[in-house]
Amino acid sequence: MTVTPAKTSAKTTISGLPQRGRVSWFEIILLAVCAIWVALGLAPTLQDVVVLSFLFGGLALAWNIAGGCAGLISFGHAAFFGIGAYTSTILFQSYNLTPWLGIFVGAVAAALAGAVLSVICARLKGPFFILSSLAFSEVVRIIVLNWSSVTGGAEGLSIPPVPDLANMVLGSKTAYEALMLAYLALAYAITRWLEASRIGFYLFAVRDNDDAAAAAGINPLMVRSLAMAMSAALTGIGGTLFAQYFLYLDPTYVVSPELSFQFALLPAVGGLGTAIGPILGSFLITPLSELLRANLGNAAAGLHLVFYSVGLIIVMLYFPSGIAGAIDKLRQPRSPP
Amino acid sequence: MSALLQVENVIHTFGATRAVDDVSFAVQPGELVGLIGPNGAGKSTLFNLIAGVMPPSRGRIVVNGADVTGWKPYEMARAGVARTFQIPKPYRQLSVIENVMISAFLQEPTVVAAHELADVTLTDLGLAPYRDRLAGELTVGLLKRLEVARALAMRPKLVLFDEIMAGLTPTEVGAMTEVVARLPERGITVIWVEHVLYAIMRTATRMVVINRGSVIAEGAPAAVARDPAVVKAYLGEEIQLA
Repeated sequence: MTVTPAKTSAKTTISGLPQRGRVSWFEIILLAVCAIWVALGLAPTLQDVVVLSFLFGGLALAWNIAGGCAGLISFGHAAFFGIGAYTSTILFQSYNLTPWLGIFVGAVAAALAGAVLSVICARLKGPFFILSSLAFSEVVRIIVLNWSSVTGGAEGLSIPPVPDLANMVLGSKTAYEALMLAYLALAYAITRWLEASRIGFYLFAVRDNDDAAAAAGINPLMVRSLAMAMSAALTGIGGTLFAQYFLYLDPTYVVSPELSFQFALLPAVGGLGTAIGPILGSFLITPLSELLRANLGNAAAGLHLVFYSVGLIIVMLYFPSGIAGAIDKLRQPRSPP
Repeated sequence: MSALLQVENVIHTFGATRAVDDVSFAVQPGELVGLIGPNGAGKSTLFNLIAGVMPPSRGRIVVNGADVTGWKPYEMARAGVARTFQIPKPYRQLSVIENVMISAFLQEPTVVAAHELADVTLTDLGLAPYRDRLAGELTVGLLKRLEVARALAMRPKLVLFDEIMAGLTPTEVGAMTEVVARLPERGITVIWVEHVLYAIMRTATRMVVINRGSVIAEGAPAAVARDPAVVKAYLGEEIQLA
């Protein structure tokens, strides 16, 4: 992207989209630290937190492709998560298809659902799109709850806890950490590639101005469907990984609005539309919510949610462009106008 | 007919109002047509019909011999018709050069080539010093130039300018006029809606004047400026040829 060097003195930072298309040492070091973390291994209780931080980091990146890059703020991504998780699990249980393949079937199913959602909601913007996405995931939840013969209904589905690499049931938490880190790295690589590619530019264009994008020869509906399909596919992959880790699908969690909010929250806290923001958001919020739940859950049920919410309000008030935005501001103080 | 654009008996109604009432005109390749008229004359509606923002209620629009009536804006763009917006519509969270790159992708699918085309276009329009600024931070005058840069980076056959001079300083008007005047020799045909009349009167090869949705005069700028119907439409306001 650096064909000709910038000659300007009046250079300001691009808030929300720092150093697009360039490799940042900060991000490489962060990923390296994660890898070392996995390699060294940790106390079993902390390993759970690490697995979830990596998984939700990937899921936050997946959500960010639609919500951050293309401006399709969705509160319905749990539907895609559930579609991925249920597809691979049903295929495994009923047809003995290994989740290593089922994960891709689930991703394709989620992508189709994402494309359908964006075509249905083609003319909806802002709050109306948000509400429709929420309604969409509720529809999926109701289907899952009522189609008991296939989905197990309210009882959910479980996978036999017999470690077998061929069936993606791993023997150690360290192995799961590595699996989730691979997922995080995949989502990160895709986001990075998008940011510096034509299609990525089209996502930003549609987010920032629909009319201008159309005048430039971009079909906004096509671009939105593509963004949603990519985001949904990656979310579906996360759903399968979740199923293979917990070995149990509880429909009241797997396709719940709370989960959808979580997907949206992590990138918002970390920095929307950036590659590093969703990861930072997950690394901050996931351990926080897990530790709060573990330490306060017994003392007073629900108290951990109070602390959690107060923390979120503080972040939203004082770091509106997320952690990534705050770091960016520290690094490059705004030049006077 | 070898016209680049033909507007044939186009009518557009909003409810009971005929905003565009049976308008026909043709634009030949290499022309620089000024489209003027008083406020509410139907210029913007006609402009939006040609750009594909909405289909005409009746009539045909033909580009390069192909009937493009009812085509969507992105299809018109791909057919070689670029436009600017009267109220600038930048991609606010992107830098100036990224704004232009998005248009450049129409002809140059790779990032490197699009970047290069965008860079050249920015230099042409004197926007090079602002290339890394966020579009959302630009002044109105710069945003107007960015609109032009984005349209030209599409390498269009026909470009529709919608009041690109509004909000510019006299110096900027002069510079922009020079840029626009050179477009026909680069193979870009221009239809230009403008309120800054002295700029358009000097530059246009032909004028089309509309009032109340109809064409009331057509011809060389000097002749149109003396046309009694045109003078009357502008309520006696004298059109000064600077």
